[in-house]
Amino acid sequence: MGQVLPLAVSAVLLAGFYASMAYGLGLIYGVLRVVNLAHGGMIMASAYLSWVLFTRFHIDPYLSIPIVMVVFFFVGVAMYRGLVRFLPRGAAGGVQSLLLLFGVWLVIRNLAYLLFTGDDQAVRTSYSTASISIFGSSYSVNRVAVFVISVVAVVLLQLWLSRTYTGKAVRGVTENSDSSTLVGIDVERVYAITFGVGTALAGLAGVLASTLFAFNPSFGAGELLKSFVIIVLGGLGSVVGIAVGALVLAFAEVFAIYVVPSYLTAAVGFVLLVVVLIVRPGGLFGSKVLR
Amino acid sequence: MTTTAQGKRQGRPVRRPGGPPGWLQRWLPTWLSKRSLVAFVVAFALLYAAPLVLPLGDYLHNLMGLTFMFMAAGLAWNWLGGYVGQISFGHAAMFGTGGFVAARLAVTFGLPFWATWLIGGLAAGLYGLLWGHPTLRLRGPYFSIATIGVGEATRLVATYWTDFTGGSSGLSLPIGGGPTKFQLYWYGLYLLAAAVAISYGLRKSRIGLGLLAIKEDVEAASDVGVNPTFYQDLVLFLSGTVVGICGGFYASYQAFIDPLDMFSFDRSISFVLIGVIGGIGTILGPAMGAIVFVVIQEFLLASYPQLYLGLYGVLLIVVILFEPLGLSGLLMRLGRRLGIRPSVSAAAGGLGSASAAPDQPTGPTGHGSPEGKREKADEAGEKAGKG
Repeated sequence: MGQVLPLAVSAVLLAGFYASMAYGLGLIYGVLRVVNLAHGGMIMASAYLSWVLFTRFHIDPYLSIPIVMVVFFFVGVAMYRGLVRFLPRGAAGGVQSLLLLFGVWLVIRNLAYLLFTGDDQAVRTSYSTASISIFGSSYSVNRVAVFVISVVAVVLLQLWLSRTYTGKAVRGVTENSDSSTLVGIDVERVYAITFGVGTALAGLAGVLASTLFAFNPSFGAGELLKSFVIIVLGGLGSVVGIAVGALVLAFAEVFAIYVVPSYLTAAVGFVLLVVVLIVRPGGLFGSKVLR
Repeated sequence: MTTTAQGKRQGRPVRRPGGPPGWLQRWLPTWLSKRSLVAFVVAFALLYAAPLVLPLGDYLHNLMGLTFMFMAAGLAWNWLGGYVGQISFGHAAMFGTGGFVAARLAVTFGLPFWATWLIGGLAAGLYGLLWGHPTLRLRGPYFSIATIGVGEATRLVATYWTDFTGGSSGLSLPIGGGPTKFQLYWYGLYLLAAAVAISYGLRKSRIGLGLLAIKEDVEAASDVGVNPTFYQDLVLFLSGTVVGICGGFYASYQAFIDPLDMFSFDRSISFVLIGVIGGIGTILGPAMGAIVFVVIQEFLLASYPQLYLGLYGVLLIVVILFEPLGLSGLLMRLGRRLGIRPSVSAAAGGLGSASAAPDQPTGPTGHGSPEGKREKADEAGEKAGKG
């Protein structure tokens, strides 16, 4: 059982990455009531962008984060203005937006296959193999860096939502879009910005993923599923909820190696999801997510 | 205006004056229209006799058999995706389960092929219930994403469970044990006929009304005595069983199956595409969608295999943006242009979708959506111009 502490640290490091990954999906759903099925595809695409920037232009993946996030912000805004805007929202439009964004995901995957082939790629920097010691066990520097960046990003996002005018407008629209219109908020603009920010977060998650994992054009399906599990577990709208959801998922996955063969850890998230749905249909915090 | 009124009436199970004759009326359900029954029998007879009369050639003959299977699977997917509004991205789990149970039974126990198909189908249906019962309480996008998880988890288990599935090297069926590809044409046709009959029954009967109610508003449905859990479980079980039988058919057709193909995400996507292209929630739409799907796969993608995902994606986007009811929607629009009453717009079995269309809620475009309203306005304008 001497393995427990290192595994726990490992789980916490993983949870940081998961939180940054889930936030984008949660934000878009919270505001637009649209599940961005292209989220996983965006993560995959930004991993490739980071890889291209690194191999072609020798930009360190961590330094490329601002570039990638800005690019993906505009990709998100364009997606909103070009496609998502035309979809009915809420319960009636759920099926349509789902299928449309699923189509977008397929197109992104195909583009990635055409541009980069189906081979596995990874970003290997000079410090990829460097490690750092925490509580007597060593962890890769990348994993620690990813954790720190994720936490900073999530905190910054929370500050943006609570302190700035635009952020407050986003929260207002989340609560009630009709009343927001009445008090003079340009709801369409808020939607576009939200979609942009959510996509930029997917971009961040993609860059971080590119430093940790090998990826290919099919990458992203698992990430979409995990993001979704976290949102169901933790609920929307609060950093605490996302953090708890991410921690629960990460711990479950990391400690599952005691119980199931390693190839099945990918299925842990799903099993967790089903268990939570049976035990607490409203999510761990009885959130409004499920309706 | 008459068009709308008639269309509306047809959506409901009323006893029409032109119904079946007396001796039939005693045992035929009231919601079965005579015209549909006749069209169904005629279409079945034509397709049954076609290869015996027409010189189809081996390639086309076999391809048609395979198309029947895709039609049946698309229709079965549509019961859940279209009638209840629960889009499944994980139907490959049932397709693969049916296929592998059937193949394993044939390889290890040497059971006759029809028995392996049926047992495989039942196993797939039960497997569907196993994961569906807890997840079907989720609605819309949440259910859909959960099904992605089901599909992925099933694929992983199947790939690593080498004793059962043969792992990545797959399973070869015993030679000479089952029907030949030539005979499979007719078995595919039976499968399709069963799927069409169930589609019609599920749509037109009392159950169909219950499903529609669930699709519109789960809570309101349960308030008026429609048990959403029971209905959704029932539909998933039926859908899983038929898709599982299709898996068994596919195993016989290919004579070799491997889990990477049977359980793949692309396989799940193909069922979604067939449903969406043909017209989600319609009775016969997915049958048309399957034709388009097979044609694309055989003729276009044979030359450009690297483009298939993108092509499917673009098709999805275009259909959702411009014609949410897919080919059925297009046909209806065409029918209106030509002044044909919607309910006679298809030969095979009576395109029930047509009757479902005028009252929009059956389509994915629900009430209150701007798209739906615009379409309705267009319709009204056209009618005014004509009348």
